[in-house]
Amino acid sequence: MNTEMTTFSHVARDALAAADLGDLRDKVLLGQRLSFEDGMRLFECRDIAAVGALANHVRERLHGDLTYFNRNLHVNATNVCEANCIFCSFARLKTGDKDAYTMTIDQAVGRVRALKDELVTEVHIVNGLNPDVPFSYYTDLLRAIKEERPDIHIKGFTAVEIAYYAEKYDMTVRGVLEALVEAGLGSLPGGGAEIFATRARKKLCADKVDADGWLGVHRIAHQMGLRSNCTMLFGHIEKTEERVDHLLRLRGLQDETRGFQTFIPLAFHNENNRLQRLPGPTGHDSLRTLAVARLMLDNIPHIKAYWPMLGVKLAQISLSFGVNDLDGTVREERIYHMAGAKTPQELTRADLVELIRRAGRIPVERDTHYNVICEA
Amino acid sequence: MRKTIASVGYLNAWPLTSKIDRSQFRLIADHPSAVARMLEDGVVDLALVPVASVLGGKDLRVLPGYAIGADGPVHSVLVVAETPMEQWTELVLDGSSRTSAMLAKLLVAGPWKAHLRDDLVVREVEAGTGVHTARGTVASLVIGDAARDLPERLSVRVDLAEAWKAWTGLPFVFAVWAGRPDLDIDVRGSVREAGRQGVDAIDADYVGEEHRYLTQNLRYTFDDRAMMGLRRFAALARKAGLAKTDEIKLYGPPLKLVKRATDLDTLLDKGAKGERLTFDEGVRLQKEATISDLGAAADLRRQDLHPGDDVTYIISRNVNYTNVCVVACKFCAFYRPKKHGEAYVLSRDQMAAKFDELVACGGIEVLLQGGLHPELKIEWYEDLFKWIKAGWPLALHALSPEEIYHIGTVSNLDLRTVIARLIAAGMDSIPGGGAEILDDEIRKKIAPLKSSTDEWLECMRQAHKLGLRSSSTMMMGVGETAEHRVKHLLRLRDLQDETGGFTAFICWTFVPDNTYVKPSGNTAADYLRTNAVSRLFLDNIKNVQASWVTQGPGVAQAALHMGANDYGSVMLEENVVSAAGSTFAMTIDEVERHIRAAGFVPVRRNMRYDHVGGALTVGRVNEIRLA
Ligand code: SF4
Ligand code: SF4
Repeated sequence: MNTEMTTFSHVARDALAAADLGDLRDKVLLGQRLSFEDGMRLFECRDIAAVGALANHVRERLHGDLTYFNRNLHVNATNVCEANCIFCSFARLKTGDKDAYTMTIDQAVGRVRALKDELVTEVHIVNGLNPDVPFSYYTDLLRAIKEERPDIHIKGFTAVEIAYYAEKYDMTVRGVLEALVEAGLGSLPGGGAEIFATRARKKLCADKVDADGWLGVHRIAHQMGLRSNCTMLFGHIEKTEERVDHLLRLRGLQDETRGFQTFIPLAFHNENNRLQRLPGPTGHDSLRTLAVARLMLDNIPHIKAYWPMLGVKLAQISLSFGVNDLDGTVREERIYHMAGAKTPQELTRADLVELIRRAGRIPVERDTHYNVICEA
Repeated sequence: MRKTIASVGYLNAWPLTSKIDRSQFRLIADHPSAVARMLEDGVVDLALVPVASVLGGKDLRVLPGYAIGADGPVHSVLVVAETPMEQWTELVLDGSSRTSAMLAKLLVAGPWKAHLRDDLVVREVEAGTGVHTARGTVASLVIGDAARDLPERLSVRVDLAEAWKAWTGLPFVFAVWAGRPDLDIDVRGSVREAGRQGVDAIDADYVGEEHRYLTQNLRYTFDDRAMMGLRRFAALARKAGLAKTDEIKLYGPPLKLVKRATDLDTLLDKGAKGERLTFDEGVRLQKEATISDLGAAADLRRQDLHPGDDVTYIISRNVNYTNVCVVACKFCAFYRPKKHGEAYVLSRDQMAAKFDELVACGGIEVLLQGGLHPELKIEWYEDLFKWIKAGWPLALHALSPEEIYHIGTVSNLDLRTVIARLIAAGMDSIPGGGAEILDDEIRKKIAPLKSSTDEWLECMRQAHKLGLRSSSTMMMGVGETAEHRVKHLLRLRDLQDETGGFTAFICWTFVPDNTYVKPSGNTAADYLRTNAVSRLFLDNIKNVQASWVTQGPGVAQAALHMGANDYGSVMLEENVVSAAGSTFAMTIDEVERHIRAAGFVPVRRNMRYDHVGGALTVGRVNEIRLA
């Protein structure tokens, strides 16, 4: 074999053989697409050193040691939500319920204003499905943020929110997106995908837009030239085949549009919601899920570890399990912390850089579209 | 048919082209623009071209490994003038290098903009006319040899690679090997190999000025950083309308990947097979191997030593009989001076309550440790041990080397006698704590009053010789280097060769807590790396324990797949025990759940690492507590 092909160490090769994954190693080396059955085998393999080595190979082939992060601010402008997803610890059903809030435009912009001297490049906006505000609430919010910080990129509104607005305000999905873009929206986050399979989705979040609806919003966004991310909520009631199915549906849309930038698996957290009987996935499962995602999603450039959910230590380790992006210096994250995530709410830039370096990688600060801002 | 390769003819290309095998390839050297044209027209198979050529929208691939770049001043690409930048009215761009001209334009529109006159005219001219045009307020781009012998009147000289570095912090890439997508893989390999040889031979092949230029001003590695510089350049050029594309496609993985996978193969293989690694080999693995490779090797070794699905853990209780200590280690948040309001020595009643609870929960071992109390003599310990042994069916895992030496000093006895008397009184084993980093350079810094490396080892030696077993530990993240870590492992391994008394090795990271030591190198990545290296290096110690206490349950699960075969202990600490029974039950439950979720079967053990039957179930624990 020539040298360019032998980019596995002997021990990685042996470990893959010992884990019975030798054939998948060959497929990955040859750049062949992995099948549904391959995905099942990877999810069912306990030997995460082997699965991780395979994912690491792909990660390094795509990105070398480069590890991206950005500096962003999370704004959750309202937690009032008509939907009733059983895993959600963040939302409150009605305005006026205990702990329910809806920020005024000025309050929300205040969050951005408070960081005016910092080099934050992105605002990430996700909200509940609030029946008590007009559509102009969102466009006003976008305009006001842009006015405060014209240079900042706004990534906002999950496909679930977009689909909800279309229905509630009697608009088309394209119409909603156009109005938001007009007001300053730059890209879509990947939330709300949860699990696509109807069986699990009905139990988890019957009120949410279904799989086709979710994918449809992203398809239209991509056609309009917007980039977006995608996610999967795992470690609750879903079956292994439903995880693989989820990844394959994302891969299918990506073949069509090439609009996804990043996949972010989200581990289920069980506090303050109605799934407390479930313990949530262990670190082993999280690492394996990140690795399998890297292997299955051969057409999505980046895999991100969301450290507020995973914990800083596991997030650092994940850089050897297929991950090439750590979420930014997140501020004001509420959704996971209301579900019991015990991670600090923010990491300084220096902390992130040190974590990435100690993992043997090269930290790179990026903007939303993965343009390099600087090598940290 | 011989393949044809083209290259720019400048000195800076020689290291990359001089070792190309002429019997295998036809080599053409020409001006940059001519070379670029040959490549575009398909006349040559592979060419060393200015990067501008790969941004022209043609479907070309770039060969990773080697390229011509600079990470700071390059000295051969300058904008020169008689007057300072603020006064320039015209900038003449010599057409002999499109890449340099593009770079100059980006600098003009970017970081220089604030300094330049708004009406500055940028004019492109024929190749080779640069130096003559630079007069008065006209500045000029000069390249190559022309940039080296400049007339004195041109006193303003701006190095473009230096300006790029100041702007972006990145290296600049001037020229790369590029070719058609379907180029034969062997050609790529040969050219890259020739580059490696040529770059390695620079010291031998060049002298004086040339040598200085090639080694100090140029950077030939085309690695991640160079790639970043190139991508950044491409993105900016595209944005400015100077390039048709900013997409740079590579032929294959970066060279580093290939090297990384093969360079350390022998060492990783040795470790995985359980063959003995030397100190230098251990250091190389600790420093250079990836976590993935180390994990894979350590997992193979673990599978050999512990085939099957069992992962062990132990239920124990840490009883700190006193917090009075005369030593005052920098990292210790536990000790109190004797007169301090919070100083204590546990009474027999207090201890009895703890042992009762432990036995009721199914515990079989107690870990007894404390500070170095200035007045407690050996008789106090002997009485205590005998009393415990008479009252409870507990194994006594007790006293760090520190405490043992201290008892010797207070009681005026030698080490051997102290240990022998404690064994006679009922001591079953000693914990391996207090090893920290077994190197006096580090020990002096973090625990200047503690036993030296040799003293620590001597205590273990005597204990092992008298029949005691102990674990061994390393506390990392206190400012030690890779060498210190491996030296530590080496010292443990040597002693183990002599005594065979170590049951297990555990590394953990320093957790800062009210202390004066500034942690460094205590991240989860450091931990997993060292955990795996220890599994490979300690070929004579059977067990490696994961530390969920310092790493969290998830990283510890990963450690089970990267060398460890034991999940540590469930410690019944007072706060946990006195809280609701379910808290304690959950603790065991959680440990077992994590072991299972990682794909293993939890098995309880004693401190000699013998399995002690099936795992205690949660139901059983609750039963005991209710009884
Ligand atoms: S997950 Fe989103 S849609 Fe569902 S209840 Fe929570 S906020 Fe509402
Ligand atoms: S000898 Fe032990 S108890 Fe005393 S200060 Fe040092 S670490 Fe703390």
